[in-house]
Amino acid sequence: MALVTGFDANASGRIASLAGAIAGSERMHYAVISFLSVVSLVALWQFGSMALPSSVLPGPYRVVSALVANVLQGDIFTDIAITLGRIAAAFAIAMAVALLLGFSMALSRTAGIFFHVWIICGITIPALVTILTLYMVVGLNDTAAVLGAAAPVIPVLAINIREGVKGIDTRLIGMARAFRAGRRQQIVSVMAPQVAPMLLASTRFGIGLVWKMVLFVELLGRGSGVGYKIEFFYQMFNMTEVLAYALSFVFVMLFIEVAILGTIERRIFRWKRN
Amino acid sequence: MLQRYSASQDMAADPSDPTGAGRSDRPIVAMRDVGKVFANGTIALSGMSLDVRPGEFVSLLGPSGCGKSTALRLVAGLGGASVGQIEWPTSSYTHAGEPEREISFVFQEPTLMPWATVFRNVWLPLRLKGVSRRAATERVMDALGMVGLDKFAEHYPRELSGGMKMRVSIARALVTRPKVMLMDEPFAALDEITRQKLNDDILRLWGDQGWTVIFVTHSVFEAVYLSSRIVVMAARPGRVIADLPNTLAYPRSGDVRTTADFAAASREVSDVLHQSMDVDAHR
Repeated sequence: MALVTGFDANASGRIASLAGAIAGSERMHYAVISFLSVVSLVALWQFGSMALPSSVLPGPYRVVSALVANVLQGDIFTDIAITLGRIAAAFAIAMAVALLLGFSMALSRTAGIFFHVWIICGITIPALVTILTLYMVVGLNDTAAVLGAAAPVIPVLAINIREGVKGIDTRLIGMARAFRAGRRQQIVSVMAPQVAPMLLASTRFGIGLVWKMVLFVELLGRGSGVGYKIEFFYQMFNMTEVLAYALSFVFVMLFIEVAILGTIERRIFRWKRN
Repeated sequence: MLQRYSASQDMAADPSDPTGAGRSDRPIVAMRDVGKVFANGTIALSGMSLDVRPGEFVSLLGPSGCGKSTALRLVAGLGGASVGQIEWPTSSYTHAGEPEREISFVFQEPTLMPWATVFRNVWLPLRLKGVSRRAATERVMDALGMVGLDKFAEHYPRELSGGMKMRVSIARALVTRPKVMLMDEPFAALDEITRQKLNDDILRLWGDQGWTVIFVTHSVFEAVYLSSRIVVMAARPGRVIADLPNTLAYPRSGDVRTTADFAAASREVSDVLHQSMDVDAHR
């Protein structure tokens, strides 16, 4: 019976360089597909604009030119800043309430049963009704706008957080207890790192929902912000400006998503990377 | 054959003390008529009494549901006994009346924190006691060296094999330099070759570190290979039905598994186990 005892160092080197080449081609593949995805999206828009009158669907070149003109003029930044401020406030409120609800529903059976009905009602009531009711109750002001943008998001976020907390690996908590970890140590050392990925995912999800709601509340009852401007230009039948304002905010949100949240994710979740 | 075991209660437990002459008779931990009833009314453990003396390697052997893991968790202080007492006669007690148990626990699964490196996983028990990274480094690297993983300190758990993860779990348990090592079926999920290798590692560490080990297993061969004493348990309700000192001499190596003595000891333990299961079947 032959026994293989040696180890070929050259073979090891070859495998390492092969692994490097495969990783390189994977990155290339990702970049090419992403580029094609963007190009095809713009092409679809272009074809659509060619099939319809430019007053209904202006083409990408025309919209981007209008956006550049707005940026050079500078007024657009005021509207973006106002909308971003409302998004930040609405998101902070929605996240705080959703965290409270999500954690209590996951950790307490009584709270889970009690708030279940609230959550179902919250999900089924149309956002439009919530926003209009808040404008009537609180008044046509920024407080009502922010609350109106936050309220419809809370139930969805709370469910997300509840499921995330329920997914905590209790074996790790048992392990920490076996090593005599106190309650606070268990939370800091074992629970918080497990909850962190879910919190980041909820943040992304929440911001994505809140920004749509903020445009909605601005459109319905405010005289400033990107949502108001979109509504204003829509009333003027100026679709080029409608799309230019929408596109400006798409870029802002892409920046928040890719540059800020993406960087945080890469930093914190290095251990997940292959 | 059972009588032969029962009559030889004074068998050697300490590998460095094959006659058992230097062994203290004072138990390091004693279970006194301990019972455990779960919230759903299940009687997990009934009337269990067990003295474990310093330097012993005691295996709790039995079928699923016999309460062996419950007994181990009670010894670890993870939950209280419904009736009876667990005493630590050689330990001092805190002001709160808690025994200062110098114990460590190895779980059935490695239970490593996936977001932390091997180093940070092993450091955890010391970190929970307030030991800084710098102060802990030497002990953590020592512990990793003992399980042959000192070169993997900065790796993440997902980069390790099942056997290596379990080694990290063992290093985490031994970094606090415990007197008593509690192990809950630590190798049940591993392949046979890795399992045998880790069995040898545990025997070596037991000999080197002077631990007292309480080892839960459902494998007769593992219990016979490792232990100085085998406590056989039965289910419904969980209870001790036999306490069998193991006459095989230490040090033991893989060759022991092919000897006639090993086969005979395994057969006897197996017979007791089957008797207990027959009793269960007729209850």
